[in-house]
Amino acid sequence: MAKNLSGDLQVASANRLADGVVVWLDDAGEWTTRLERAAISRDRRSGEILLRRAEAEAFAVIDPFLVAVAEDDDGMIEPLSLRERIRASGLTFDAIAADAVRYA
Amino acid sequence: MKLFSDAGLPATYVALPFADWRTRSDWPAVALANTDPVEELAAHVDRLRLVVLHFPKFSDGRAYSQARLLRGRLGYRGELRATGGVLQDQVAFMLRCGFDSFESDQAGFGEALARARTVFSVVYQPAEDGRAPVSLLRHERRNAALT
Amino acid sequence: MPDAHFYRYDDYDRTLVGERVEQFRDQVRRRLAGELTEEQFKPLRLHNGLYLQLHAYMLRIAIPYGTLSSRQLRKLADISRKYDRGYGHFTTRQNLQLNWIRLEDAPDALAALAEVDMHALQTSGNCIRNVTADHFAGAAADEIEDPRIWAEIVRQWSTLHPEFTYLPRKFKIAITGSPNDRAAVRVHDIGLRLWRNDEGEVGFEVIVGGGLGRTPMIGKTLRAFLPRNELLAYLEATLRVYNRYGRRDNLYKARIKILVHEVGVERMRADVEAEYAGTRDGLLGLSSETIEAIAHQFAPPDLPSRPAVVGAVEALKLGDRDFALWLKSNVASHRASGYAIVTASLKPAGAPPGDASAVQMEGVADIADTYSQGELRVSHEQNLILPHVAVEDLPAVYAALGRLGFAEANVGKITDIIACPGLDYCALANARSIPVAQRISSHFASLARQHDIGDLKIKISGCINACGHHHVGHIGILGVDRNGVELYQISLGGDVDFGRTALGTIIGPAVTADKVVEAVDAVVATYLDVRNDGERFVDTYRRIGAQPFKERLYETV
Repeated sequence: MAKNLSGDLQVASANRLADGVVVWLDDAGEWTTRLERAAISRDRRSGEILLRRAEAEAFAVIDPFLVAVAEDDDGMIEPLSLRERIRASGLTFDAIAADAVRYA
Repeated sequence: MKLFSDAGLPATYVALPFADWRTRSDWPAVALANTDPVEELAAHVDRLRLVVLHFPKFSDGRAYSQARLLRGRLGYRGELRATGGVLQDQVAFMLRCGFDSFESDQAGFGEALARARTVFSVVYQPAEDGRAPVSLLRHERRNAALT
Repeated sequence: MPDAHFYRYDDYDRTLVGERVEQFRDQVRRRLAGELTEEQFKPLRLHNGLYLQLHAYMLRIAIPYGTLSSRQLRKLADISRKYDRGYGHFTTRQNLQLNWIRLEDAPDALAALAEVDMHALQTSGNCIRNVTADHFAGAAADEIEDPRIWAEIVRQWSTLHPEFTYLPRKFKIAITGSPNDRAAVRVHDIGLRLWRNDEGEVGFEVIVGGGLGRTPMIGKTLRAFLPRNELLAYLEATLRVYNRYGRRDNLYKARIKILVHEVGVERMRADVEAEYAGTRDGLLGLSSETIEAIAHQFAPPDLPSRPAVVGAVEALKLGDRDFALWLKSNVASHRASGYAIVTASLKPAGAPPGDASAVQMEGVADIADTYSQGELRVSHEQNLILPHVAVEDLPAVYAALGRLGFAEANVGKITDIIACPGLDYCALANARSIPVAQRISSHFASLARQHDIGDLKIKISGCINACGHHHVGHIGILGVDRNGVELYQISLGGDVDFGRTALGTIIGPAVTADKVVEAVDAVVATYLDVRNDGERFVDTYRRIGAQPFKERLYETV
């Protein structure tokens, strides 16, 4: 799977103020919980613009920032850093369920 | 910057920076940085009418200790003013430490100040506001139960 | 339900906690309405235990001095179900963390907590944090005095302290009342150790400037013997010196340990004593009546006389090897004959250390009601304790805990791992901790093997802040990030026992995540080869040094 690993591709992310949920800024300037809908900037200059747009829409989120991502041939994006991959896809192990008496 | 007072009209003296005031310590008003030694005011507390203490950021709490030393240790009774990062969510702590006037630009600060003494109706520690800590109230309650 | 045998809130305590909830409700409302900036709001939410982590807010609930009633534990289960995902994580500082809280719900969760006289006050932020104590307090056979009496006195004094809510950095106090320190008092900002002097008086050794984090330090004695009634005045003097002179120019140099290190303990002592001269005669002096009123509430439960030697227990010990191992590792001696202290291990093989589901919490609460006077403790080793179990009931408690998955006979053993939440949850972490702990604990799951290896403490942190206490692990594991790859530094020889407290030494280059188990295995194999009879891992390490371990480890990985 070919990936663009140049580090130029970025999305804007933040945590939602009301519940802390991870969100990304989409092309319409709305915050979405779906990474695949995130607006992508493809060079440094547009990255700066993206961040400024995110900051302008920051009323209901906390401290927006840019996340470096890679894009495969099908246009699927994935953050480069492990931290951001975990933010995007959740825990890397199964947490215990509320009704569990044993860890499965 | 708006000035709020919890104890009558605020003083109108110009507070001299500590370094200047040292050269003319008969002046009744001084402004300290939060690293200035309050202990040096000891001989002058009866003459002083206004001491201004500064919060460079609301989260830098050094002036709370300065205030308590001024009130509790040195016995200063004049106006004690907080400047800098003075926000309504810290004002109850400031009152407890002995501040009685405040410079703040925060919207709603005056209303918050008016409520600040009643946000908490009980306190656990003795401080500089004369409020009886819970330990004392319990002591009195025990004594009342005995008699 | 049995009465609690520890501090019970009165109307003053309840009023204060209730007013605090309402204050925070208003602050949350103002934040959501945009009247407060995040910068202004952050310390306010932190002072109420609310962090922002990677995926959500996290609520850190205080379990003061680790003592909990069954009723309170059931409420925690209830809150985790109603406002979170039905599980919680017990931490190394006797707190419970809920990882998926919504800011909008936080005031309601705190109000629910207040219904059982609990709070999340000062579990975060640059203030005096939840005071911790020996988790065997009030039950241990070696105890001089119950440290929780003093922890409660400190809890009240430090709660909403007007002068010390914006300190240079966080401030952690731990108290032990036993010569065998189970509260790690040498690695706290202030550690208090109750001891009896030659005149027969009980007082505190005051230890200052210990801590882990990026600059680990062992605390130094500030005052060898402090009369008990002077405790608060002396603490106030110490905190005042710190508040005034602690560094604020650099976040990483702001803890009191750096101040003590920079000025030296003699100068620190002189400053504190000078300040103390001014505070000692004030209102903070504790009358014997005040002390007695609180001590009275910690009076031990009336334990009915029960047999110390029970035939059925002895028989089961012979017939069930796992039960025999459990008695050895998870059951400690109680001060009352016929009773024992049972540790419920929250470290079943392969599980995230310290996690419990709502059903498990309720299950342990039921066991506490039936067999332990309705009382529980949380240990800094992330386990739950049943402090007052009759020897006669041990088989039943073992079976009941087994049904919850909490009867693993591994307390103090290699799978009783302390681990921080790491990069799976934490915004500060550089690497994951929990999956590493899970792999190690699965690898060493065999109880016979664990007991053969003996006492060996593994502590894992996902970053330099050291919430997993890796510096004082017999084997310490620190996750680091090198160019986007998780690597793990192994250190050996750390120890937290009193009189032997030591910081571990990094043994060599960090290893990749997939090699951590092999690295630990190599260290253990070295130990098994060279140990003398009955010699613990950490003692072998002290005897032979790092070299043999190092050679084997780097041949292997």
